[in-house]
Amino acid sequence: MSEKLNTAGHEPEKTDERRTEISKFSLLFNRLGIYVVVILLILLGMAVSKGQFFTAGNVQSILEAVALIGMVSAGLIFVVYAGNMNDMSIPMTMALGGMMTVQCINFGFPVALLVGIATGTVIGLINGFMIGKLRANPIIWTWGFNLLLSGIARVTWGGKQLYADSIAKDTDFAQKSASAFYSIARTYIGSFISLMAIVMIVMFAISWFIHSRTAFGQKLKIIGTSYDVARFSGIDCTKTLVLAYTICSVCASIGGIFFAALRKTASYENGTGYDFSCLTAVLLGGVLLSGGKGSVVGAFGGVLAYGILNNILSWVGLDTYSKYLVQGIVFLFIVWLNTYSNRKLGKA
Amino acid sequence: MAETANSTYALDMRAVSKRFPGTLAVNQVDFRVKKGEVHALMGENGAGKSTLMKVLAGLYGDYTGEIFIDGVKRELHSPEMAKEFGIGMVYQELSLARRISICENLLVGRLPKKNALFIDKKKAIAEAKELLARVGLDGLDPTIDVSEISQCDAQLVEIAKVLGSKPKILVMDEPTSALSSEEVQRLFAIIRNLKKQGLAIVYISHHLAEIFEIADTVTVMRDGRLVDTALVSDVTTESLVEKMVGKPINSFYAEHTGEISGEEVLRVEDYTRWGFFHHVSFALHRGEVLAICGLAGAGRTEIARSLVSVDRIDRGKLFVHGRETHFRDFGEAIRGGLGYLSEDRKVVGLALPQTVEDNVLSCVIDKYSRGILFSARDEEPLVQEKIDEMRVYPADPMRQINSFSGGNQQKILMAKWLAADVEILILDEPTRGVDVGAKQTIHEAIRRFAAQGRSVILLSSDLPEVVGLCDRAVILREGHVIGEIPKAGITENSLLIAANGEGEYVTCRKS
Repeated sequence: MSEKLNTAGHEPEKTDERRTEISKFSLLFNRLGIYVVVILLILLGMAVSKGQFFTAGNVQSILEAVALIGMVSAGLIFVVYAGNMNDMSIPMTMALGGMMTVQCINFGFPVALLVGIATGTVIGLINGFMIGKLRANPIIWTWGFNLLLSGIARVTWGGKQLYADSIAKDTDFAQKSASAFYSIARTYIGSFISLMAIVMIVMFAISWFIHSRTAFGQKLKIIGTSYDVARFSGIDCTKTLVLAYTICSVCASIGGIFFAALRKTASYENGTGYDFSCLTAVLLGGVLLSGGKGSVVGAFGGVLAYGILNNILSWVGLDTYSKYLVQGIVFLFIVWLNTYSNRKLGKA
Repeated sequence: MAETANSTYALDMRAVSKRFPGTLAVNQVDFRVKKGEVHALMGENGAGKSTLMKVLAGLYGDYTGEIFIDGVKRELHSPEMAKEFGIGMVYQELSLARRISICENLLVGRLPKKNALFIDKKKAIAEAKELLARVGLDGLDPTIDVSEISQCDAQLVEIAKVLGSKPKILVMDEPTSALSSEEVQRLFAIIRNLKKQGLAIVYISHHLAEIFEIADTVTVMRDGRLVDTALVSDVTTESLVEKMVGKPINSFYAEHTGEISGEEVLRVEDYTRWGFFHHVSFALHRGEVLAICGLAGAGRTEIARSLVSVDRIDRGKLFVHGRETHFRDFGEAIRGGLGYLSEDRKVVGLALPQTVEDNVLSCVIDKYSRGILFSARDEEPLVQEKIDEMRVYPADPMRQINSFSGGNQQKILMAKWLAADVEILILDEPTRGVDVGAKQTIHEAIRRFAAQGRSVILLSSDLPEVVGLCDRAVILREGHVIGEIPKAGITENSLLIAANGEGEYVTCRKS
């Protein structure tokens, strides 16, 4: 015992510097690397579009394409950050948000909007209860719940698509609220900044505030890193997870409402594919799939990169099928990169 | 008994050493086991027993020294090589795959085949039955799942599985930890039988009574060195404990000098969680460091988890400052002044990929939030104060936990609970696996904490630590409190003997 004391006890311990360096690099890449990608993509876009990239029309189409994914991603980040990987019920949350809004259009647009958001809130609370309180597997539960919601939507409306102007009664008030509903996706401030893009940016700003400035965000960080550590630190994991899922579903329903307004139809198919495209954007922004690491600023960059990439694919003249192929490859690449930096951070 | 021809020993380890970064876990150990003997290997936690056995199992290829098996020099660089040379390991944690049949478990990797595609099921069952018969499980049907048989039978099947690879040396690490006393007798009968068949058996256990019953020879290790090898008939409980503990340690663990007032801060009555602990009652006073001692599996950790409401209790009452209290969850327990530093730092203690700051503040997010707002940066002075107090090196609140050494991580965990500012702190193995310097820092922190008029419940397997820090020890055995030892009576010997259930050293003072 005394021998150990002499050799190890009094000199300052050495830390593994190399490992720290690797961690720092990974962190930096996780945090800001995405904006390097965004700039590279913009340069590539300028090249393939032959100078048409920064025209009002193109910027507008990028922003519109990005806006919907952005709105949903601004909420999804909380679920990923909490270590629950993905919310598979996003498609039906979006669809139902839009459908409920359209269905209630006769009560006036503000009421209809609130009903749509309330739908999302309820879905989020149920998800949060099942996963936060009963510890259901987050993927399997949300996946199954998505199927259930899809069934409910199809049975309720008999598989029909909903059009705000035909559902609205023939009164001045109802018709006005229907056109107000359509106009939210078509309002521009200045010449080419759409309202949708502004809503998305505001949602990201709120999301950033919640994530980095509140007690909730700090608790989510610990929960996302390790649920057990959070539990053994006296953190109210259930409440925190319920809140995370509720924020996510509210954002998805807002996205769904804008989606329905943009398409002029609300249908159970509206949100299809958004679960994975939003996850791609969030992961692209450096949020770790296993939770506890990542920033909203990064996720915003991820959304931009995803939008610009899609835009470039259009300029190159890729058809829809090939786009799926490219998106799939990008997704897999991002998951690989994510796992890789996870390992470097000593977490995988 | 050193100068004998090699071949009388089934195992002859000469000057074996294994170095880990920072410590010499096994230091020049000569360990010999004869054929047909049961050789007990004893020592406190961290004495190097397990490391020595892992060298033998081929898990550490980079050992130094020579190993002779049946007189032939062997290099043990992988578990496969160890198995081939006749080393059989029965581990403490059951390593059986639970949802497949006993037969498949026993013959894993070497199921007899009819042809390239099909397994010869009849032959497999016959072979399995033969193996089971060797451990006295003649009646057991080898086709049922391992999950359906009892813990004891599973342990015996595990032994049968190891016997299947025809070992010459059988190493058993705490084989009785999950068994009842009747089952232990069954196991001993089998061990005696194996001994007759000429196997050399290395038996690791903390239970002194078992050693006297089953072993022929005993070797004691301490701090990585071999202290002594002797015939069991030549030793007594006292001499064995003395060898395990050694002498000069008391001087290192300075006396705890805090003032203990009579004021009771916590009392539990009839605390019971069926199957884990039963009718546990004790009290804790202001400024006191109370140890709860017992062997592994005695229910210490389970009591602590129930006290802070991580686990439910089935019956019993908890009084904090004289008022009956029931915490709904851990968060409420912390707000009520009860903290629990958990045993497993890496799984439930610290969020490794996050910064020191995030971790130290993780218990007090609500306490230091303003409305819904919270900023870790604003609380940096508190974090800095606590990690300076714990002498964390480097003292950088923004550094990630996993870039610190184990000792410093443990200090950060302690800092986290100091920051939680609780009245009563339960420390579960607060110094397990840390170097001596970190140990000292943590001990000083515990003493300062108690001197501030707060109270500590210490759960520790490190006996010198208990002796040096504690004012009173509650002895726990198989989930029951069997007595208390006051300050004056706490010595390593009395603790070891009490925990083993030999009552004459326990001064019972029921409160």
